[in-house]
Amino acid sequence: MLVYLIRRLLYVVPIALAVSVVCFSLVHIAPGDPLVSILPPDASLQLVEQMRKSYGFDQPIPVQFGIWLGKAIQGDFGTSIATSRPVSQEIYKAVGNTLMLAMAATLIGFTLGCFFGFVAGYFRDTWIDRVAVTVSILGVSVPHYWLGMVLVIVFAVLLPWLPPTGAGPGSSADWAWDWAHMQYLILPAVTMSVIPMGIVTRTVRALVGDILSQEFVDALRAKGLTDWGVFQHVVKNAAPTALTVIGLQLGYLLGGSILIETVFSWPGTGSLLNAAIFQRDLPLLQGTILVLAMFFVVLNLLVDVAQTAIDPRIRR
Amino acid sequence: MVSLAEPVPLIIAPSRGYWASVGQRLLRDKVTMVCVVILLTIILAAIFAPYLGLADPYRGSIIRRLRPIGTPGYLLGTDEQGRDMLARLIYGGRLSLFIGLLPVFNAFVIGSLLGITAGFVGGKVNAAIMRTSDVFLAFPSVLLAVAISGALGAGILNSIVSLTIVFVPPIARIAESVTTQVRSLDFVDAARASGASSWTIIRVHILNNVLGPIFVYATSLISVSMILGAGLSFLGLGTKPPEPEWGLMLNTLRTAIYVQPWIAALPGAMIFMVSIGFNLVSDGLRSAMDVRR
Amino acid sequence: MTISKNFRRALLGAAIAVALPGLVPEMAWAQGTLRIAMTAADIPRTLGQPDQGFEGNRFTGIPMYDGLTQWDLSSADKASVVIPGLATEWAVDATDKTKWTFKLRPGVKFHDGSTFNADAVVWNVEKVLNQNALHFDASQVGVTASRMPTLRTARKIDDMTVEMTTAQPDSFLPINLTNLFMASPAHWQKLFEAVPASVSDPKQRAAQAWTAFAANASGTGPFKMDRFVPRERLEVVKFPDYWDKPKVAKLDRIVMIPMPEASARTAALLSGQVDWIEAPAPDAVAQIKSRGFQISANAQPHVWPWQFSFAEGSPWLDKRVRQAANLCVDREGMKQLLAGLMEPAVGTVAPGHPWWGNPSFQIKYDPAAAKKLMAEAGYSAAKPIKVKTQTSASGSGQMMPLPMNEFIQQSLKECFFDVELDVIEWNTLFTNWRKGSKDDSARGSHAINVTYAAMDPFFAMVRFLDSKAAPPVSNNWGYFNMPEFDALVATARSTFDAGERDKALAKLHARSVEEAPFLWVAHDVGPRAMAPKVKGLVQPKSWFIDLTTVYIQ
Repeated sequence: MLVYLIRRLLYVVPIALAVSVVCFSLVHIAPGDPLVSILPPDASLQLVEQMRKSYGFDQPIPVQFGIWLGKAIQGDFGTSIATSRPVSQEIYKAVGNTLMLAMAATLIGFTLGCFFGFVAGYFRDTWIDRVAVTVSILGVSVPHYWLGMVLVIVFAVLLPWLPPTGAGPGSSADWAWDWAHMQYLILPAVTMSVIPMGIVTRTVRALVGDILSQEFVDALRAKGLTDWGVFQHVVKNAAPTALTVIGLQLGYLLGGSILIETVFSWPGTGSLLNAAIFQRDLPLLQGTILVLAMFFVVLNLLVDVAQTAIDPRIRR
Repeated sequence: MVSLAEPVPLIIAPSRGYWASVGQRLLRDKVTMVCVVILLTIILAAIFAPYLGLADPYRGSIIRRLRPIGTPGYLLGTDEQGRDMLARLIYGGRLSLFIGLLPVFNAFVIGSLLGITAGFVGGKVNAAIMRTSDVFLAFPSVLLAVAISGALGAGILNSIVSLTIVFVPPIARIAESVTTQVRSLDFVDAARASGASSWTIIRVHILNNVLGPIFVYATSLISVSMILGAGLSFLGLGTKPPEPEWGLMLNTLRTAIYVQPWIAALPGAMIFMVSIGFNLVSDGLRSAMDVRR
Repeated sequence: MTISKNFRRALLGAAIAVALPGLVPEMAWAQGTLRIAMTAADIPRTLGQPDQGFEGNRFTGIPMYDGLTQWDLSSADKASVVIPGLATEWAVDATDKTKWTFKLRPGVKFHDGSTFNADAVVWNVEKVLNQNALHFDASQVGVTASRMPTLRTARKIDDMTVEMTTAQPDSFLPINLTNLFMASPAHWQKLFEAVPASVSDPKQRAAQAWTAFAANASGTGPFKMDRFVPRERLEVVKFPDYWDKPKVAKLDRIVMIPMPEASARTAALLSGQVDWIEAPAPDAVAQIKSRGFQISANAQPHVWPWQFSFAEGSPWLDKRVRQAANLCVDREGMKQLLAGLMEPAVGTVAPGHPWWGNPSFQIKYDPAAAKKLMAEAGYSAAKPIKVKTQTSASGSGQMMPLPMNEFIQQSLKECFFDVELDVIEWNTLFTNWRKGSKDDSARGSHAINVTYAAMDPFFAMVRFLDSKAAPPVSNNWGYFNMPEFDALVATARSTFDAGERDKALAKLHARSVEEAPFLWVAHDVGPRAMAPKVKGLVQPKSWFIDLTTVYIQ
């Protein structure tokens, strides 16, 4: 098992390197001038050349990559072209906001998913099961950005109960865990939670169903184990897989928050990505993509390691 | 976003009547059949939209902007430019379905080819293909799609390219794992012992037993692809105005949620409907092909 | 990546939060606080030279900084013209018309307490024009250089006098200088020295000093920066020592929030999250008014036109046809359909503007006169004239391009025009504008529908009417070429008395209306919506506003 863990850890290095190459080349194959956000549409060729030089875009691409990677390893992603602010500072703040949102969504999704999944698994093939299954299919099928819009329409426009957009009455820097601020988190977090909820429901339902149908459960019952005891047994057996699934889902939510953040003007990595794309701010774009991808790589690693630790038989 | 690596049932050595029985089981599955009918209706309406006597989906008018649902002559109202919503929703299916289906089809072809090659040839070829796909699988799907589209710029073709790139690695991975499993099964050894050529083995045994599971898996990606494709347009990275496309319509109608909220929600409802439809059909297909049941 | 503060808060809070329901009232704001939702996706740059177009100048330029010259924003009725700012007077050299002297305003202090003088002016010119200066900042060049294309150097004569040099004689210089905002050199120097010693490269130290300056700025404007949360919020407070005493701000504080979505802005206004929004969605205007909010609007120096092609074979080569089109559009009718959010355009500038100049041809809605002109040109209902116009479905400043163009299409049909619209993507259209009507990108179009800002004579007229501005040099898309106009442009550029220069520009404008190289349709009106408690706003005929007169009641 130790050998596996070391191999798995070492494998992260080439993957991370390859991911950084992909990030960099993706951003650089892009057509269009990287300085478009700060150059006026009628800039002279001379001005364009002068600006390219002062931003280092006149260097050969591999050289640019080397310089960028060397600094990125030290946590320096360069300076945003549009704002002149350090990219790492922008990402740092945005990651905090997105993590907050994604964790809230994961919490909701996991709780509801486990609930629906358990109920469905316990009452397999009854109407309760069918309701839970339907909910899970709706969860994985709904275009979540549309669900966000519908929730805004219902709970912010038609019924003025919750604020439609933003991260608090002030800025996200003033965030506090009181109602005035938390009401801003509700709609985006609920919207974001539907996919993990659907997937967790599916997984837990299958797990619970499998465990309950195994013969030893009958044997346990025959031995006089109470329903509560059986329930504990089920939880113990289902928990590792469910936690694995939700761990991966957190990674998907972090990387995929752009659509929801756009709907709710949430000042996280998705909004940053959006701004970077439309302003063609290359340093900001490649930095944000890299950080999000690295989160995902590390989460995958953690999930694998955790899984191996819980169940040493799994060694893919 | 939806996890792209889900387990797939392995179909082992289907007998002669296998496909017939799958078909029969599907026909008996009411939920799947209802979905098939709904999807076919939407697809056919989109294809034959010009013959349905609909209003011009591009023709707007300042005077009749944002008419409510049920306005005589405009069954589903009009959008922010005064264009007929019913016509735009039906015409919108053309691009939306195209952007949703084509990447999955492309990825099915490319991913199967790569995966089967990797699984059958093994060795360095396998390593090269599988390690490359690992790199792409190291990106969350939405992030990868947005990053590629953002880099290539807005456009229908670019959306399709980016979604294809997103779906090739997971399909290749499934194809490789199924091929490896099938290759090591007894009946392949038996065929080899009886003197069948490699090509015959690939054609008769591997393809027969491998493509089924990959196909089932690919169908489960259609709904993700629909949501993502429309999502790219919603972000302004896909279709450009004034084309009718559900994701883009959702985007441009957002300014109208204070005036005609339900009209603004309509295009998303279409995406939702199609997405559920494909998910349920895929589930139905999966259980119909699962011989254990 | 270290674990962020918010993450730790998230973990902690997630647990506490569940146990802590209950209502905490909305943050209380001081009476004199105005909260504005801007249309920009990000806060415009705060270091003196804003980006995000004129919205940037409006919110992070003019309130925090002053230029040597400035726009008069005091009247809602009169045209907004250039008046003295930090310079009290200026004149061009009698013999060398590329040399200007500017007399500076005495007794002006920056927010950091340092004194505004000739050194400060030279320093601010060099921040964008002298590549060898330590504080030269490439990121500010793009937005600034194109708005003052001829300025080259500045030199101190004495503490209160500066000499400026241009590349060629250019009487537009004082107008261009409204775009150069004066940042405090002393404050920058302090921030430069505060950069950690570990950064040794002076260029890098300078770059970091500018980043610090953006978060902690110092200008001479009526408001000074108080708090800056990148991408989310900028707070400025009253600067009580502002040099122009009558214009010391009435508000204590302004909070500016970027909100690019029109629907989000509307929601924020209606829910009381902000007091003022820029550009409400036209469709929401009725609802906003019905809830007791006020809408303010006024014609802006912005033009929504069709720019005609004069290439061979263009149907617009005949002046009668061009004039007929201008007489055949019912602009008032269009205004009603746009919920009043436009002003009819009868030229690039409106009557009453110093550059208006009383053209002998008057643009109005007169279909009978239009039909007569068309008949003279040889067209009739049986023999309509075919024209093709390139436009976009959306775009900055384009208003509602599709319905507006269709309205024109229907109007012109009455006067024997058969209009075909070629709708393309906005960025492509904007690029095509520079390529010209003879380029393949025009796809056989005879007119292009790109809106333009018309504050400065170069952007308003010269780039369309001077034959030297034909593609690829500038935006004379249609290759309009009349020697008479080239001469008028040259005269205006080399007339240095401000009054005489305006007369020359008025002649140019009047002649352009008579020749009608455009179909002038509309001016945008810069709509903004605000809570009833917001008082004192005077919305001038400008892209900008004076926030010092505003107060909350």
